[in-house]
Amino acid sequence: MLALWLSHANAQTPWPQLESQARGQTVYFNAWGGSELSNAYIAWAAAIVQQRYGVVVRHVKITDPAEMVKRIQTEVAAGRQDDGSIDLLWLNGEIFKQLKQAHLLFGPWAEQLPNWQYIDLTKPVRQDFSIATEGFEAPWGFAQLTFMANRAVTPIPPRSAAELLQFAALNSGRVSYPKPPEFHGLTFIKQLLLELAPNPDVLQRPVNDATFQAATQPLWAYLDRLHPLLWRKGKAFPVSAAEMHRMLGDGELKLSFSFNPNEGAYLISSKQLPRTAYSFGFNQGTIGNVHFVAIPVNAPAKAGAQVFANFLISPEAQAKKADLAVWGDSSVLDQQRIAAALRALMNKKAAGALAEPVILRAEPHASWVHALEVEWLRRYGTR
Amino acid sequence: MVTTLRYALTGRGRENQYAVWLALAGVVVVFGPLLLGLFWAFLPAFSRSAWSDLWADPEWPLALGSTLISTILGSALALVFALLMAVQCYGGAAWSRLQRQLPLLLSVPHAAFAVGLLFLLAPSGWLMRLLAPFAGWVLPPAWVTVQDPWGLSLAFALALKECWFLLWVLAAILAEHTILQQMTIAQTMGYSRLQAWRHILLPQLLPRLAWPMLAVFAYGLSVVDMAVILGPSNPATMAVLIWHWLSDPHPLIQAKGSAATLVMGGLLLSMMVLLKWGWWACRVGPYPKGVRQQTKAKRAWHCSTPLLAISYAVLAGLLLWSMAEAWFFPAIWPEALSLRVWANTDFTPFFNSLYVASAAVLLALPITLIWLEWGPQRFNTWLYLPLIIPAMPLAAGQYAVLLKMGLANSYSSVIWSHLLWVVPYILLTLTGPYRAYDQRFMVMAQALGKGRIKACLTVKWPMLMRPIFAAMAIGFSVSIAQYLPTLFAGGGRIVTATTEAVALSAGGNRRILAAQALLQVMLPLGAFILAAGLPRWLSRHRQGLK
Repeated sequence: MLALWLSHANAQTPWPQLESQARGQTVYFNAWGGSELSNAYIAWAAAIVQQRYGVVVRHVKITDPAEMVKRIQTEVAAGRQDDGSIDLLWLNGEIFKQLKQAHLLFGPWAEQLPNWQYIDLTKPVRQDFSIATEGFEAPWGFAQLTFMANRAVTPIPPRSAAELLQFAALNSGRVSYPKPPEFHGLTFIKQLLLELAPNPDVLQRPVNDATFQAATQPLWAYLDRLHPLLWRKGKAFPVSAAEMHRMLGDGELKLSFSFNPNEGAYLISSKQLPRTAYSFGFNQGTIGNVHFVAIPVNAPAKAGAQVFANFLISPEAQAKKADLAVWGDSSVLDQQRIAAALRALMNKKAAGALAEPVILRAEPHASWVHALEVEWLRRYGTR
Repeated sequence: MVTTLRYALTGRGRENQYAVWLALAGVVVVFGPLLLGLFWAFLPAFSRSAWSDLWADPEWPLALGSTLISTILGSALALVFALLMAVQCYGGAAWSRLQRQLPLLLSVPHAAFAVGLLFLLAPSGWLMRLLAPFAGWVLPPAWVTVQDPWGLSLAFALALKECWFLLWVLAAILAEHTILQQMTIAQTMGYSRLQAWRHILLPQLLPRLAWPMLAVFAYGLSVVDMAVILGPSNPATMAVLIWHWLSDPHPLIQAKGSAATLVMGGLLLSMMVLLKWGWWACRVGPYPKGVRQQTKAKRAWHCSTPLLAISYAVLAGLLLWSMAEAWFFPAIWPEALSLRVWANTDFTPFFNSLYVASAAVLLALPITLIWLEWGPQRFNTWLYLPLIIPAMPLAAGQYAVLLKMGLANSYSSVIWSHLLWVVPYILLTLTGPYRAYDQRFMVMAQALGKGRIKACLTVKWPMLMRPIFAAMAIGFSVSIAQYLPTLFAGGGRIVTATTEAVALSAGGNRRILAAQALLQVMLPLGAFILAAGLPRWLSRHRQGLK
């Protein structure tokens, strides 16, 4: 194993040489800019990397990851083979699948990073929506669908798809979800699918017409019953999860959800949710996934991007990221291999954060995402 | 001598020939590369599959419906609001009061206005919170007040926002001294205010409002930010759908977006034809029969009052949100106020915007003035195209051009990309006053021996100072509002107040969003205040321009 690793590493530029190449480079990091927490964290990491390695990191705040795919495509098509505008990007699932299939990613590089040794390989860090990463992206953080409610109006929350339907019937017009293809909305649909599909195992394989029909039939039957009970009878949907948090705060909705198990704590501390808000999961578990960073094939600062990515998966940076007071995004590292002081940072507790253990359920194969999106829009997109 | 004078008056001297070339050069630099860009952007639409995909799309017909309702109703209401205010107030003290407030009202960016209006009108909004104690609501009522499936709230928002733009254009036209004289004469002859408007002012004003109206209509058709916030969501309006399709990585979906963009252009063309007909119908109204209607006693109620009240409530809401601590339904006032958010506000986007917009306006103004004076005016319609075509394919086309030339990702490329919208808007607002300018002043200046350039510099342009400054302010605010061009030409690396606000709107903290929205308001606001104040100060020694 070690020999294999060494032979791999030898095929690449040695790390110290990469570090010296990186010095003075400017890394444009294209990452979703919709959260103050992740924005502030990226600014912190950028400052450290500049100080220690002389790499300047500029956070390019984007709203829609699909724009990045188009940008890289356009650049490569226009002949910009090594002076693209993105050096590192934050991605997973569908976007990774598209970029990798179109050979628009640089690599493999991720498993040669010195800090790869700390990664918890029992987590799905080598599979991205059932697609093998093969070292073309480095895991950065770990997310799990987490529901939120307000104890003042919802003392007992629904904990399964069936209970959710009952809850919606009792609280007509107070439940909703963001309209797919919005990321959180689609995840909610996938969560229901995992519970309702007769044979969930097929979801881990590429989709085809037959498996899609069989697996999704109960889901559509369920949604046909749920939608008339939703906010505005399912004829309109909130724009985003963030919009749902606000509606939960005002009482327009009784449930909201997030991909960050610690978001509830932050929303309370920043006065966006009342102090009585809390987080919970479903009994049979909720969908979780790993989010990654990848380097486009035409990135000019590939060395700098690898140095920054290596810092992002260092115990120090991962512990800071997991700290509830900073971002609260779960670590991808093996807790046994890192210092106890850092471990304590990762395991802080705060009111409003997910306090109960919730089983993790894997994302369906990336090919299901598009099929679900198309069918959902066909059925409910125009009601 | 006679020949020289004739050349000078007919504009055929050698000096003028150079000027014509200069006028063409300026415009070609801004628009020329776009032809290639447009070619690239619309190429995918020339396939049968793009059109059959569009035809089969289930969201498309409904999106088209809500877009037509919001756009037509919104533009019509905006015109009605603006005309009502002008009819009621023009010539009185209320008119100058209203005009003093215009800069503030105009400068509120659309996205910020929509966020503020949402907070006012939403089921959990301020209005409902005021009603809650009387209705006994603990939870917000399950009413559909905003984001209605028909696009009515979007229409209302568009009307509220655009009526100030139309009023601003009206004010610039009405400021010409001949119009006030006509009004005075009509009233001296015993005609009522309404009669004077009906028979004298409207037939003159409406044709000159045609282009601004079309811009309002085009804006309504292609608006994305307001539609996301206030428009229907299932399905969204046409512009939002196209925006999603064009930014989809899948080439087939991009092609569908291109095809849909062509439909949008077609809609605009038909609106253009309709407007032309409508305006023409206005002009052939009956002649006054000589009957003098009584001017009614002055009403205490002005229709500007509720419009102003809503607009200020929107601003107050933004200001309050930027300082609010906990503030949940049904609280009318935040639990506490603090400057926590302001203390952590990032001012980089603010200064970037200031730099880009100033540079864009300073480049666009000479280009436009030289074009208006020497350029072949029959091409003006072509120059207005950027106002008609949605920004997405244009910005993508510009980006392709910049990439081929290796110029992307710099401030200068962002400034260049903004010129594509800044120049037409400045042209749009200047053309009317420029055409209406009494050419005899120029003839006189040239007859007195001034060259045409000198005559422009010392007579014509100073006399047109007011509309020029107004146009500059509008150009500045147009540059501030650009989102997609900034994102593309700047490689997403040049952050302006607008890209920052849109990036934040994907998150959820209303406080930070409100703070950035207010920063975004301040830039154009400053420009409009300057545009209103500077001409007055500069022309303090010129009797006729005061």
